[in-house]
Amino acid sequence: MNDPKGHIIQVSPLSDVDSPVLRQICGRISRIFGYNCEIRPLLQDIEFALDRERGQYYSTPILHRLADLAPAQALKVLAIVDVDLFIPVLTHVYGEAQLGGRACIVSTRRLKEQLSPANQLQTLTRRLVIEALHELGHTFNLRHCKDPACIMHYCRMVKDVDRKSDQLCRYCSILLSDEIDRVNAG
Amino acid sequence: MGKTKILIVDDELIMRESLADWLERDGHEIETAASGEEALERLKSNRFDILLVDIKMEGMTGLDVLKQVKTTDPDTAVVMITAYGSISTAIEAMKNGAFEYLLKPFDPDELGVLIEKIIHYQEQGRENLFLREAYKDRTRFESMIGQSPAMQKVFDMIRDVAPTDSTVLITGETGTGKGLAARAIHTNSPRSDGPFVIVNCGAFPEHLLESELFGHQKGAFTDAKVTKKGRLELAHGGTLFLDEIGEISMRMQIDLLRIIEDGIFYRVGGTQPIEADFRVIAATNRDLKEAIRQGAFRQDLFYRLNVISFEMPPLRERKEDIPLLAEHFLRRFSQETNKPVGRISREALEEMMLYEWPGNVRELENAIERAVVVGKERRIRPEDLPIFRGDAARSASDLSLKAVERAHIAHVLDKTRWNISKSAEILGIDRTTLYSKIKRYQIEKPS
Repeated sequence: MNDPKGHIIQVSPLSDVDSPVLRQICGRISRIFGYNCEIRPLLQDIEFALDRERGQYYSTPILHRLADLAPAQALKVLAIVDVDLFIPVLTHVYGEAQLGGRACIVSTRRLKEQLSPANQLQTLTRRLVIEALHELGHTFNLRHCKDPACIMHYCRMVKDVDRKSDQLCRYCSILLSDEIDRVNAG
Repeated sequence: MGKTKILIVDDELIMRESLADWLERDGHEIETAASGEEALERLKSNRFDILLVDIKMEGMTGLDVLKQVKTTDPDTAVVMITAYGSISTAIEAMKNGAFEYLLKPFDPDELGVLIEKIIHYQEQGRENLFLREAYKDRTRFESMIGQSPAMQKVFDMIRDVAPTDSTVLITGETGTGKGLAARAIHTNSPRSDGPFVIVNCGAFPEHLLESELFGHQKGAFTDAKVTKKGRLELAHGGTLFLDEIGEISMRMQIDLLRIIEDGIFYRVGGTQPIEADFRVIAATNRDLKEAIRQGAFRQDLFYRLNVISFEMPPLRERKEDIPLLAEHFLRRFSQETNKPVGRISREALEEMMLYEWPGNVRELENAIERAVVVGKERRIRPEDLPIFRGDAARSASDLSLKAVERAHIAHVLDKTRWNISKSAEILGIDRTTLYSKIKRYQIEKPS
């Protein structure tokens, strides 16, 4: 594990995400980022971010609130919501992260699109895991990657998410490892 | 290539920030401006690939910004953003040269696709420029060839210097392949995805070279009908190859020194400083140290250019490479001319090995090209080679008796301007014999 200072990555669900799904997300986070991952509630109410005109939630203020509330032990926090997220210039976002910061958020709302009835839960879980890792990757200063199989590849549609692997490419792995060394040394 | 530089111009902080955060994740370099005036101020000292401009702003509108940008930097792609989807404004923006028009809020997919499209379009534009450059400059030898120790040393040098960003000075006689060496450094450098822009400093008079290098603003001089980018700007992200650097004027030397030191320059007639990031490789066949002694070349510029330097060996010092080079050119020209000239005769090769090649590889290349074109057999014979035409470069001790005779006759004819009677008199032979020798040696009267 990468946590000489006892840091953890905190996963904070704001919606009814099944425990096994959360545990799966946490397991992957630990494996990719090398920190212990814990599931702890942090923020219960996000109505402050609701834009009534758009009927969507503005993700940036939620990130600020998450970063403010995060305990010292939490190196990064990831919120999982089921509401539709947006930033002002865009119609919607799957998630958002503070690039090189502490907080990120991912929404299940649009990840539920185009689910085949046969394996709904399995596909949704996979998408959620990948997007959670993607947004957390941004908090570790990773930018979008050109490799379509890399977690950090920017997906335009859910079918692009389905095409991604749940691994970082070689370059992003190196960049992540550099960033983790920097974090642990700092 | 370097990062794509994007300037977001919007008077709403929230829009600027969210858009900047979003685009930054794609690895772009983002700057923001809160008004049209601030944007234009930034554009004076920075160059951007893309401008995202909100149409409706306090003070200067987005359309005003667009018009201004299109006059000063027509290659910058401007995307207009508005929450007021009025078709008339959109049409006006497009008429004024906007690349695209987005209605707020826009689909994230739409934005990503648009940015990629612009980058692709701009890269293609640059590529076309390079291709045109490459075509004009179509090098007479395609790649560096050589097994000789002298060339192996050059290859090692290129491999060593390519990954650095240091300025390189390549010296050597005409035709030794200084340009190829420069290109090889570029191709093996981290800038290989960027442009390789060549400036032949000896080919332009001073005022034209200035405009060629720095570009000019519309109206800077009588013929400046449009704003034109200079080669320094075209080289952004890549390598600038200054060939025949020893030929530039003292005034241009001062300008060049400043550019190499600061990376900033002005277009002719322009007031806005332009920043460009490029590596400089310079080449010369002149002895720059001697030029410094004579006061014809600035010492400070020389030291700036001479960070790393190496010399391209003349062909006479690597004669072992001649068969390899000759074969290479033979294959190339027989393919290009569609003539089935398959080989070089032993005699022709022997002659080539004895010759001094004052014009170096370029002369060898020209000789093979000519031999392929004019040759009447499937192999190159000594008489197909132009090197037997009155060449002074070859030392007499290396020549056969026939070659000496041919060279001497050609020399006398040349001296008498092909006055046959006078030439026959000098040579001590009668006119009929002279005619017969001219025919036998295929000595041609210059046109």
